[in-house]
Amino acid sequence: MYSSLVRLQNTFGFFTSVVFAVAALVALTDFITPRAPNVITLKTTSLSVVKGRPHYYSSKKEEYALIKFSLEADLSSLFTWNTKQVFVYVTAEWPASGDNSTNEAIIWDQIITAPSADHLSNLTPTAKKKLIKSAAGKSIDPSRGRISVKNQRYKYQITHPSGRIAGTSDVVLKLHYNVQPWVGLLTWNQNADFWKWKQLKGDRSRKFSLPAIKAKAGTKN
Amino acid sequence: MLSSLQNPRQAAAQLMNFGLILSTAFMMWKGLSVITDSPSPIVVVLSGSMEPAFQRGDLLLLWNRNLFSETSVGEIVVYNVKDKDIPIVHRVVRKFGAGPEAKLLTKGDNNLSDDTELYAPGQDYLVRKDIIGSVFGFIPSVGFVTILLSEYPWLKTAMLGIMGLVVVLQRE
Repeated sequence: MYSSLVRLQNTFGFFTSVVFAVAALVALTDFITPRAPNVITLKTTSLSVVKGRPHYYSSKKEEYALIKFSLEADLSSLFTWNTKQVFVYVTAEWPASGDNSTNEAIIWDQIITAPSADHLSNLTPTAKKKLIKSAAGKSIDPSRGRISVKNQRYKYQITHPSGRIAGTSDVVLKLHYNVQPWVGLLTWNQNADFWKWKQLKGDRSRKFSLPAIKAKAGTKN
Repeated sequence: MLSSLQNPRQAAAQLMNFGLILSTAFMMWKGLSVITDSPSPIVVVLSGSMEPAFQRGDLLLLWNRNLFSETSVGEIVVYNVKDKDIPIVHRVVRKFGAGPEAKLLTKGDNNLSDDTELYAPGQDYLVRKDIIGSVFGFIPSVGFVTILLSEYPWLKTAMLGIMGLVVVLQRE
């Protein structure tokens, strides 16, 4: 009954219960921490549409849109002791022709690690060292949530399965975020307030139209 | 030693107990599968393509119902490519249209290019039915045991051997 094996089993069982209970409590603290993210500016600074091969594996020439934008946002309240990283991304949205659905594409994204996850980031060794140094002594660094980019070049051009995108109207840029916890639930920006979490204010740019194709085709192939 | 062999009633009870544990685990897994509407409601991360968010061995909880909204851009989904048995965990980065035929494109946060090359030949986009769930919960590192077991098969044998020995040697 009280063999060493049974003792070992009981100890391990108790250990796992305690670990899971603590993890659950940590995950729950997310919900009692207020979040009040807001976007100060989000606007396009340059638009163009070219026809060419957007990827090296593209089989045919198609139109693709290149967008530059400026963004200023304060997401500092998303950084808590349970935050591993915040994935920030800007999408372009435009209504699909024919039905009520929308098309949506990410044009730019950024992984912002919390200081506690800096060692996991996939930067070059020098950049990583600099990043770790920038938060020396701090386990939480809300200032990382302050984003300010000006005339930022797109990371991904926009295409459409039909191959046509020039002249599209009612396009809007939107900022989104995804909070990755150390343990618990993944969360995204909400469209409405949820108890202590406020909705992301000013998350969209003004509506704009994509221009016609530039005279000369893109040189990418 | 081998006391259970001399007592068939106790041996039978032990066997039943073992069967009960197995069937409870199986029922819980299948029950979770029904609740989440996903064939595999819990997956272990096998690659580094979503780093630093997900490391190898992390456990992901999936949800495959669209109760309030459709699967959309920004969600991290697990999908299966036709004729390949390895589920892939990546983020939806483009969505064209709506409904079950909406075209979805995925990309790993840590990858430079999108998943077009991972898809089956001639397949440019995913549709909703290729997806077996969206990630909603995260438990770090717990799944590393399964990675160890599949990468070092002798561990499996060793574990089974130890368990067998324990059952035989154990005295109630």
